[in-house]
Amino acid sequence: MIGGGVTGAGVARDLSLRGLSVLLLEKGDWGAGTTGGSSWMIHGGPRYLEFDWDTTRLSTQDAGYIVSIARNLVYRVVFIIPVLPHDKNNIERMETAMEVYDRFQPLKKAHPHRRLTAEEARQAEPGLTPDVIGAVTMEEWGVDPHRLVYANVEDAVAHGARALNHTEVVDLVRDGGKVIGVRYRAADGAMSEARARVVVNATGPWSPRTSGLAGLKVELRPAKGIHIVYPHRISNFSISAESVDGRDLLMVSHAGFTLLGTTDDDYYGDLDSVDVLEDEVDYLLQAFERVFPSIRDYRPVRATAAVRPTLFKWRRYEDELSRRYQVIDHAAEGVEGFVTIAGGKLSMYRLMAEQTSDAVCRKLGHQAPCTTATSPLPGNESEMEPAAELARRCGIPALAAVKLQSRHGTQAEKVLDGGRAGRLVCRCEPITEAELAYSTRHEQVRSLADAFRRVGLAAGPCAGAACVMRAAEVIGTELGWSASQRFAAAREFVRGAWLGRAPVLGHAGWAQEELAQGAMRGLFN
Amino acid sequence: MGRTDSLAKLALAYGVHLARRRLSRPRSQLDDLFDTYATDGIRALQPAERERHPHLVGCINCGLCALAAGRIGQTRLPDLASSYMRLYARLGEASSDIEGDAPDLEAAASACPVGVPLVEVAAIVRRMTTG
Repeated sequence: MIGGGVTGAGVARDLSLRGLSVLLLEKGDWGAGTTGGSSWMIHGGPRYLEFDWDTTRLSTQDAGYIVSIARNLVYRVVFIIPVLPHDKNNIERMETAMEVYDRFQPLKKAHPHRRLTAEEARQAEPGLTPDVIGAVTMEEWGVDPHRLVYANVEDAVAHGARALNHTEVVDLVRDGGKVIGVRYRAADGAMSEARARVVVNATGPWSPRTSGLAGLKVELRPAKGIHIVYPHRISNFSISAESVDGRDLLMVSHAGFTLLGTTDDDYYGDLDSVDVLEDEVDYLLQAFERVFPSIRDYRPVRATAAVRPTLFKWRRYEDELSRRYQVIDHAAEGVEGFVTIAGGKLSMYRLMAEQTSDAVCRKLGHQAPCTTATSPLPGNESEMEPAAELARRCGIPALAAVKLQSRHGTQAEKVLDGGRAGRLVCRCEPITEAELAYSTRHEQVRSLADAFRRVGLAAGPCAGAACVMRAAEVIGTELGWSASQRFAAAREFVRGAWLGRAPVLGHAGWAQEELAQGAMRGLFN
Repeated sequence: MGRTDSLAKLALAYGVHLARRRLSRPRSQLDDLFDTYATDGIRALQPAERERHPHLVGCINCGLCALAAGRIGQTRLPDLASSYMRLYARLGEASSDIEGDAPDLEAAASACPVGVPLVEVAAIVRRMTTG
């Protein structure tokens, strides 16, 4: 398996559960590419109702499976969809769409929509513009995609797979027209080779480059999407808005933060260095200012950018491109032993993984059913105890216990090393020293950025000002870093985070930056 | 099923919807909405809270307030604004963290370099945790 996004991790898990021997390689960190830059939602795809109801049904059904197997990672996200004068859809059309969508909602254990008058909509969310003429609600599921990827990796490893992050495939090993393995470079620069009867390319937007190693052409139309991140919930309800060019944008209220997005633009640049532009930030704010006038009063903490691996289609606007996927067996092009999974979206990752695994099993003549729709991911094998009980027993704040359970489910106490939590290292999130040490020891954390993805380190309003040095100490102790290596690791994290912060800093943001730079005592230099 | 079929079915659903709206008397669904999602911590902010909200979430976790006052219940003061005020989905499960005496929040707020009104923060967090 090449590629450790949610699809690659899902395929690795699926094949491992079917009893096959799997090696999963990821050049960066688990979920650090397209998966982590998503809207963090398992949604059913109401937009497909205009195009293909079967896609909505499949997407909703698979969302239901994911909700069942990853209960600790998901939470309800409830949208208010306000209707304003001159919107492209009036209130009756919006409610009709929701009535149709309600038929599919039980598949993912979601509630039906509600219709609100203008006054009721502003009671539910007083920040809505007085211009609102009515609203409907819609329920979806939020998910932590980084933990979802890692849960799949963890389960794959538990069933015999080998999974290596920070390990880049540099070439395919070929025997005539057949792919028989990969050459890869580990984090320390060491080169290795692995042989396999089938190699799967699940590298998302990098798929054309990976398939090019076999002389094959996989055509995508990569599309860039950015999100503005606020380090708190702006509202308990999520809100949709129409952009200046008529696109649907979302302000999504997640477990303790808000994502506002997204853009959708053809992307031809460097996939390993995707920048956020101030124009893109203003495009999003302009749309939300219309429905939520105080949006510019809030201080974003960073922006994210990622590239969607959209299937190629000529003569379509980016937003009209399908989120469909394709499993390609390259034997038809004369290259045996090589399969690519292209396109798709987070919500359907499990189904994509199942169909890719089916293709691999067919090639190998291996008979085993897929069980990923019903087998719980790690931490979901039983009911979670009340967070307050865990907190009392382990001597941590109840909120820390809540967050610990949301990341590790029923394994929370194991993470605390039998209940010894240590101090809180990141107080915004909050994260204990024991959890950070556990993630370094058992969850392949190799840098502070890895810790950001695995446990949410520095994801709060201080953006790491209060915790990066201590976190570098904890991780460094586990990995045997010297004092200068710890300082360098903290500095690397701060500089990397700055790239995502610069385009969104307003007046208050710059003031915070001044304070943070002072607090970090030289990490910016 | 192609796009034509999908649009035709949506058109039919639209007709049925319009007919139903003409024949039935709509009732308020707001209370249903709040009841359905109360256990998920999805509650409305009050208008006054909404107006002040951008100031309530301005904490940058510098820690200066802790020099002026200690803890609210078992919770260290900067954490109230930098963590609990983020309105986590499961905040209600953490109500025990902020039960108990409050320190001199006015004094703590006066030390804040970004002007976070900690008295208001404490009030809204308590309201959100207890419902």
